Amino acid sequence: MSNKFIGQSVKRLEDKRFLTGKGRYTDDINLPGMLHAHFVRSPYAHARVQSIDTTEALAMEGVVAVFTGDDVKELNGVPCGWQVNFRNGETMREPKHPMLIATGDTAKHVGDPVAVIIAETKSIATDAAEAVMVEWEELPAIASPADALKPGAPKVHDQYPDNKAFDWTFGNPVEEVDAAIESAAHVTTLEFVNQRVVPNAMEPRAYIGHYDTVSDKYTLYTSTQNPHLIRLLMCAFVLGIPEHKVRVVGPDVGGGFGSKIYHYTEEALVTWASKQLGQPVKWTSDRSEAFLMDAHGRDHVTKAEMGFDADGNITGLRIKTIANMGAYLSTFAPAVPTYLHGTLLQGVYTTPKINIDMTCVFTHTVAVDAYRGAGRPEATYLLERLIDLAALEMGKDPAQLRFQNFIPPFDGVTQPGYQTQVALQYDSGNYHPVLEKGLEMLGYDDFRQAQKEAAQSNKLLGVGISTYIEACGIAPSAVVGALGARAGLYESAQVRVQPTGKVSVFTGSHSHGQGHETTFVQVVADKLGIPMEDVELVHGDSDTVAFGMGTYGSRSLAVGGSAIMKSIDKVLEKGAKIAAHKLECAEGDLEYGNGKWTVKGTDKSIGFGDVALTAYVPHVYPAGLEPGLDFSSFYDPANFTYPFGCHIAVVEVDKETGKVTLKRMIAVDDVGNIINPMIVEGQIHGGLAQGIGQALLEGTIYDENAQLTNGSYMDYCMPRADDLPMFETANQTTPCPHNPLGVKGAGEAGAIGSTPAVVNAVIDALWSGGHQVKDILMPLTPERVWRAMN
Amino acid sequence: MQLTGSHVLNAPVSKIWGMLMDADTLAQVVPAVSRLEKTGDNEFKAIAEVKIGPVSGSFSGDLSLADIRENEGYTLHVKQNSKIGNADASVAISLKPITDSQTEVSFDGNARLSGLLARTGQRVISGVANTLTRQFFDNLEQAINENP
Repeated sequence: MSNKFIGQSVKRLEDKRFLTGKGRYTDDINLPGMLHAHFVRSPYAHARVQSIDTTEALAMEGVVAVFTGDDVKELNGVPCGWQVNFRNGETMREPKHPMLIATGDTAKHVGDPVAVIIAETKSIATDAAEAVMVEWEELPAIASPADALKPGAPKVHDQYPDNKAFDWTFGNPVEEVDAAIESAAHVTTLEFVNQRVVPNAMEPRAYIGHYDTVSDKYTLYTSTQNPHLIRLLMCAFVLGIPEHKVRVVGPDVGGGFGSKIYHYTEEALVTWASKQLGQPVKWTSDRSEAFLMDAHGRDHVTKAEMGFDADGNITGLRIKTIANMGAYLSTFAPAVPTYLHGTLLQGVYTTPKINIDMTCVFTHTVAVDAYRGAGRPEATYLLERLIDLAALEMGKDPAQLRFQNFIPPFDGVTQPGYQTQVALQYDSGNYHPVLEKGLEMLGYDDFRQAQKEAAQSNKLLGVGISTYIEACGIAPSAVVGALGARAGLYESAQVRVQPTGKVSVFTGSHSHGQGHETTFVQVVADKLGIPMEDVELVHGDSDTVAFGMGTYGSRSLAVGGSAIMKSIDKVLEKGAKIAAHKLECAEGDLEYGNGKWTVKGTDKSIGFGDVALTAYVPHVYPAGLEPGLDFSSFYDPANFTYPFGCHIAVVEVDKETGKVTLKRMIAVDDVGNIINPMIVEGQIHGGLAQGIGQALLEGTIYDENAQLTNGSYMDYCMPRADDLPMFETANQTTPCPHNPLGVKGAGEAGAIGSTPAVVNAVIDALWSGGHQVKDILMPLTPERVWRAMN
Repeated sequence: MQLTGSHVLNAPVSKIWGMLMDADTLAQVVPAVSRLEKTGDNEFKAIAEVKIGPVSGSFSGDLSLADIRENEGYTLHVKQNSKIGNADASVAISLKPITDSQTEVSFDGNARLSGLLARTGQRVISGVANTLTRQFFDNLEQAINENP
């Protein structure tokens, strides 16, 4: 492989269309005869539909149909894709998530739809929604997961009076962990909330269902992270349509952060409605609906205890957490607080005993599911807050306390992977140097001096460290299958060499901003030794791409890229047979490089394009070999990948106002081999902004009736450029030993490491000023920080 | 949204009571209500225009009086629906004579908001409540002056 493109910051090929406003998103697609949908939604978090009258709406000019819950009663609800049973063996409770709430049934969160208007224009549909008369019986509602467990709490589903979806325990036997904590020389205890956040993709969700009456085929255009998965879920579980009659297209997608993985009710409904009406039906979410309906992230209430011996070595970790599932179980929801969270509680430390006790509860809120990092940010927040607080409590240096507890380096090749107490086996890791590098970039010793001086002034200084690890490259099918996944999480790829030697690459990964059209092409062009412009990436269409599991969990390059590598190997293997025949030599005498097969030690060679043409015009051709040069592959990873790194935040806290100013943000990440450093840096930047947003600015607020009270950009604070310093980033490279590119994934790292670093920095600043606070509820608004000091 | 307030007005109890029991006067003094149509004993259909922060809209709903104690007070129930959300308010209004020509009018209650109103208005809600309170007393004072 020539490394002409791999490792280069090639400018993103897709940016030309994005930056010139020529991206083609679902809402940009307009089909002849297309109708528009608008949903009538519950204004209450919990209310029974006593009656619904659509007469007036139906009479309005331009209204084509109004469907209510009674019309779709016979259809299945949208399914959950992961099953985690109660610890006592009871099956996970999986209430039906209907497309529309029927008369007599109850809406279970604000926004739960009761009817859909289909009209000739979007504005007619919106106006007609006001003419639908719904008689509601308002019922008591609950938004807090901890309160939902209290006796007498309002019930979300009558059949589950304790509001539990399931409970779960993981790690070492709890008695062993109890013993470790009880015999510890020091125990750091932290009770905290990992607050609920809204994903806020720039492009709102949008769908077009199109049933073609001539071919009896459906097409769904959808703003999704995984078109094939949506097809599988919608066809097999909701609408009962055979898959070969359905094409799912995910055109350009403007961000997802997890929220566009899941199969939503609106998606199935526009598809179904199109069949009923024989015309395409489009629905595009508005921003208010996005706040209400897109699956939210995080929402854990935790008590965590970390025990240390007299020398500061971690001896045990005990955790009790309540996780909010929302009103229904979304596609991946049960996996997030369990197998994507509990399994990461080893962190980068040698903690010998770990146990987590998790209770997942229903509340009258929209579903919670994976949001950038999904479970791993919650695990990292827990560990990194604990260890920093322990250092403050024990009067130790937080960096030294980490160095002392780090897992020693292992490459996963000559040394085995590291077996954790929580099931996973880390592939390769070298944790010491990323922290060293971070401290060097910070100028740690000088900082501590400056902090002492600042303590006398009006502006306190603080530093927060976070040394994270994540499990990416999701996921080895056999492993996740054993853990409850109802799908395999491999990836497929097809490399089709055209007769002239140009290459079409079909991948089941689906970019929603990650730059696959550049990175994947860099890989293919290098491996084949051909120019990048000779390679085209095709993705996001179930009719052209054979199969796919999509993009999430930092998996595209590690899993999707590996599938492409397998197909490239097959192309080169067959190409060598053709080349050997043409050059009249043995295959073993050939070597491939710079786009041609050369007979070793000679100047006799044949180019990639000539071999491709021969494969399609096989007049002089090896006997018994099939024509064509086109290979599909499926790649199922052997293990997760385990990127890691060190994030360091420096903050200034105004003593008088409590305002936190983030002065520096340092990120040293080890994401394995890097194909395009610029794209990786961009992913890290975006992740950092989101992680910092959670620490300082973002978070939902529900009132006592479970109404979301900050569902707009005037009320929900997103990070803006002036909230952020210039990021200081660096990389270390510890290749992944078990995939052909040695890559680990970079999409989530920024959001995983940064949040605890920022909060730790604020706590450190407060301690330097004599305020020995353990925790401040995120987001760290000036008021909360001020109250912590006063 | 908590709604509380009290104010001393220059009119005898009986006069204020008479005004508060008159639909037209009530429509004039209850903030945001533009019209009241009688639909039954102490029950009215109310048309209101409300602006809270970034959202504004025209409401129609029901207004009713309960727990009526002559010259002492009553409880005002307002239940309104609109495209920007629903409001459900219950406010106890009480009158207390200070002198023969002065009366203290006070009220205490709360309004439950849902939908878009709840979602986007919370930041400004206490300001809105204060404004509504001020408007109520200003309107009442004006009505007294207009009907000497």
